[in-house]
This record gives sequence, structure tokens and C-alpha cells, in this order.
Amino acid sequence: MNRYPYRLVDNGDMGLTILFEAPISRALSIYIVQLAERCRARFSQHIVDLIPAYQSLTLGFNLDSEWAATQTFELEQLIEETQLSADSLSTKPTKRVEIPVCYGGEYGPDLAPMAQQKNMTQQSLINQHSQTEYFVHMLGFAPGFMYLGGLDPSLACPRKSVPAMQVPAGSLGIGAGQTGIYPQVSPGGWHIIGRTPLALFDVNNTPACIVNPLDSVRFYPISASEFENWNTP
Amino acid sequence: MSIKVIRAGMQTSIQDLGRFGFMDQGIPRSGFMDPLSATLANTLVGNVSHHPALEICMLGPELLFNQDISIAICGAVFEVERLRPHSPPEPIHNNLAVKLKAGDKLRFAKRLSGARAYLAFSAGLAIKPELNSHSTHFGAKFGGFKGRALMAGDEIPLTNIKAPGSNQQTPTEEKSVLGYGGRYILRCVDSVETSLFSRQQQRDFYHNKYQVGQASNRMGLRLDGPPLSALNIADISSSGLLNGSIQIPPGGLPIISGVDGQTIGGYPRIANVISADLFALGQLVPGDQVQFVKVCKNQAHTLLVSQKHYIKQYTS
Repeated sequence: MNRYPYRLVDNGDMGLTILFEAPISRALSIYIVQLAERCRARFSQHIVDLIPAYQSLTLGFNLDSEWAATQTFELEQLIEETQLSADSLSTKPTKRVEIPVCYGGEYGPDLAPMAQQKNMTQQSLINQHSQTEYFVHMLGFAPGFMYLGGLDPSLACPRKSVPAMQVPAGSLGIGAGQTGIYPQVSPGGWHIIGRTPLALFDVNNTPACIVNPLDSVRFYPISASEFENWNTP
Repeated sequence: MSIKVIRAGMQTSIQDLGRFGFMDQGIPRSGFMDPLSATLANTLVGNVSHHPALEICMLGPELLFNQDISIAICGAVFEVERLRPHSPPEPIHNNLAVKLKAGDKLRFAKRLSGARAYLAFSAGLAIKPELNSHSTHFGAKFGGFKGRALMAGDEIPLTNIKAPGSNQQTPTEEKSVLGYGGRYILRCVDSVETSLFSRQQQRDFYHNKYQVGQASNRMGLRLDGPPLSALNIADISSSGLLNGSIQIPPGGLPIISGVDGQTIGGYPRIANVISADLFALGQLVPGDQVQFVKVCKNQAHTLLVSQKHYIKQYTS
């Protein structure tokens, strides 16, 4: 009955995290996003923020609500219900998003050293990275940052020991077993192998992020001149 | 109808109580770092608590008001003067509603205590809110005034100005002001990974005296002090990070998440500051001393309810 055994753990006095013990997987993420949608629908006056992550769902309570102080029975009931129907649940339609990336050169200064260190050509590294379909487990960290699953283990690379002070917006990086794009200028410890001219996050769009959790992402290589002319009409 | 920025200060920005419901897109709540002071300032000029106000951080601005308006300053204490043509400068005190005339300037000078002052004004902002809020998100450059801190020459457009009432106090009336002492006790409850820390590590955490580090801002407060002993904690699974979470990175020194903090974190959390004490994070200055005291969740809720009653005295 308990497909995904869980524990409820306090996340401060106005938050709660539902921790799942199952390993990270696409199926678990689908379940967590479904649970988040149900929580949003059922407890909208008590819960203001829902943060799905790899193996957890965090709830941030409304400070005006006394609900957080009461028992969590209702929540546990909803978790059980969602688990029972986990196979038949439907989520919002998902999409496949193609993201152009100019690999290497000035936009991806760490591509060459990384290829050399892995004894690969830059082109084969690019091919391997861009031929994979990645899965969006969640968004978080910074506005529009995607936590992607699917990086080929042969491309994994320990984080830099000294993080760069400033990574440009749109930079595509690899850090440990993860790959992803810095949506805004920020400090960062990942190896930067390329950059996209697309804005991953634009507050004028609805939704503001170009992907949602559970979407798929593929990167495709573009040239430096394509990159430079991307946003000129 | 506007407030003109003559001198901007270090980081003067438009904030409100924050934007809620977007953390699953990586968008933090933002908003006032000290919502308690901001609420009192808004109340003094007749605004609701989520009304936008100016957050003034460490180094204050000089502002020109182009119409009659009421303002109130709460939170950090600065030496503030009202400059009016053909009049001598008048000191302006915190925690009072002050009537200003068109052409008056407010000049913030020396900071006496606390980190952030809130300047509320009896007018609406003629700016469209973004994602349901006027709070400025500096990193992603949206909300507030053009998604950034104010700069000299900016004009903040106003609308619906409520003319100052007659029963408001005049700026010359002196009032004693509570300052911020530089030593803080932050009450905490358990967090997601608390049980992964050893008893000794938890004892040390609640026993140590920490100082607020230089690299502290609205995203997080970094503390200096005795590092916790080597953490015997395997990599944890990144999960939702709320305001007030206290993370312990491998170096052993705590980082407290602020209102602009990241929404998902990967360092283990030893505790969370209780909601009733979060306002104090907005007043911490590098060098201030911080100690943590553990309370239980029921106490934390009781403290939050009594804080709400305290605010209600002023707002109703």
C-alpha cells in the first residue's frame, strides 16, 4: 500500500518536509509533483509555498494560519490517497524543450580543459552532452534553475575547488553528476561548457520559467555567430 | 507625484511583505527583512501591512518629496533631518507619523543602531506589481523599482496620495527610541536534518557565541565563530529551504537563510529560527553577537500568536 514510504519532518515552526526514502527517479518526481498539486488544491488557505525536490516535498505554511499547529492527520490522509492512486494520476501536460547552446570557446571556457582531462575530443563531449534527453526533477535554488536528471556518468566532474566569482547568465555547467544552466549572473562552482542565448526566466512571461518540473530538455549546439545574433530580430 | 532620489544610500529598495507561492519556480519570497518594523511604519501612516515601503540598508538616502505626504520611519535608527527651504533643518525621529510638505527633503545621516530602516509613505506606488508583489528581487532583476536598488535621479511614481491628517504628530516632538543592542538571542526549533547532527554538535551549536560576518545580505547571514566539529554527514538530498533555516556547510560555520535565499539547499540544517524572531535577521549588522536558544514547536507558535497580538494593538 505504501508505494513510497515517507516521514514527516519539521522544517522550522511554519514548515514541514515530507521525506521519501525511495531513490531519485522519474516516477518519484511525478508522484511528488502530483502530491504538490493536490496539496495546493486542498490546503490552499493554509499552505502558501510548496517546494518539490528530488526526494521530498516541502510545505511552507501561511503565517496567519493556525493549521500548522494542529495535527497533521489531514495531510497524512492526502499522502495515502495520492499513493493509492499513484498509477492513475494525471499531471498537467508536460513538454519537451529544446535549448540552443554555444559550446566551448569564450562561452564555455571549461570545455577544452574538461575534454582534455577526460581524454575526449571537445566534439565528442558536445555530442554526448547534447544527445541526451534530460528530465526536469524540480526548479529551485535561483529563479528558473532546473535540476536535471540524465547526465551521462562519464561526463560527471567534481565541482571546482574555488568557485568562480561571477558566472554569466545562461551559462551551462557540469558539477559532480549534475548539469544545468545558471539563469542569472551568480557565483558558481560548476565547470562552464557553454552558454544559451535564451532567457530561462522572464517575469513578463506566464509562467516565468521556460520549463516546468517533469518536462524534458535537450540541448542543441549552435555556433558563436548564431549565439550573437539570436536575440536580434 | 513622486519621491525623487537625490542620494541613494547603500541599498535602498522597494519591498512589501513578499511574494508567496512561487518557491517551486526557484523564486524566494523576498520582501521586508524586518517585517515587524515595516508593519509598524505602514500602520503609522494608515497603510495596511503589505503596503510597499522603502527598505533602507546600512547607509541611508536623501529623498525629495514633491507633494504633501505623511511618512514614518521604523526599524534601524539613523540621524535623519528634514530640510525645508527657508527653515532650519529639523531632526526626524523614528516611530512617528511625520507630515511633509511638497519640496521637503529627508536626509539620512549617521546610522546609530540596527541595519535596516523602513520608510512608509501615505501613498500608493504607480508601478505594476510583478508576480503579485512590489518586492525587489535583485538577482533576477524584477519587482520594486526596475528590479534594482534605487539610484540617484530615480523618481518613484506615486498615486492615491492621502493628505496628512491633522491629528498627526509634528516632527519636532521628541520621542525616545528603542535601539538595537548588537547582542541577539535567536530562538530555534528543529529542522529537517537536525537528527543527523550528534548530541555534541547540537550542544556546541546552542552553546557557541557567533558573530555576524561581513558577507551577509538579504540572501543569507554568514556567522563567524568556533566551527562545529567535522560533520560526519553524508551528502544529503537537496530539499526545500525556508527563510530562517540554519545550514552547516562543510566548514562548520552556520549560514542563516534570508528572505532572498535560495529555495532549495543541499547543506544539512541544524535548526530553524522561529517565525517570531525572523524580524531580527533584518537588523543584524556585521560584528553583532548571536546566540541560539532551543524552544519547542508549541512555544514557537505561542510566541508567534503573541507577536500578532502585539502588532494588532497598533494596527487596529
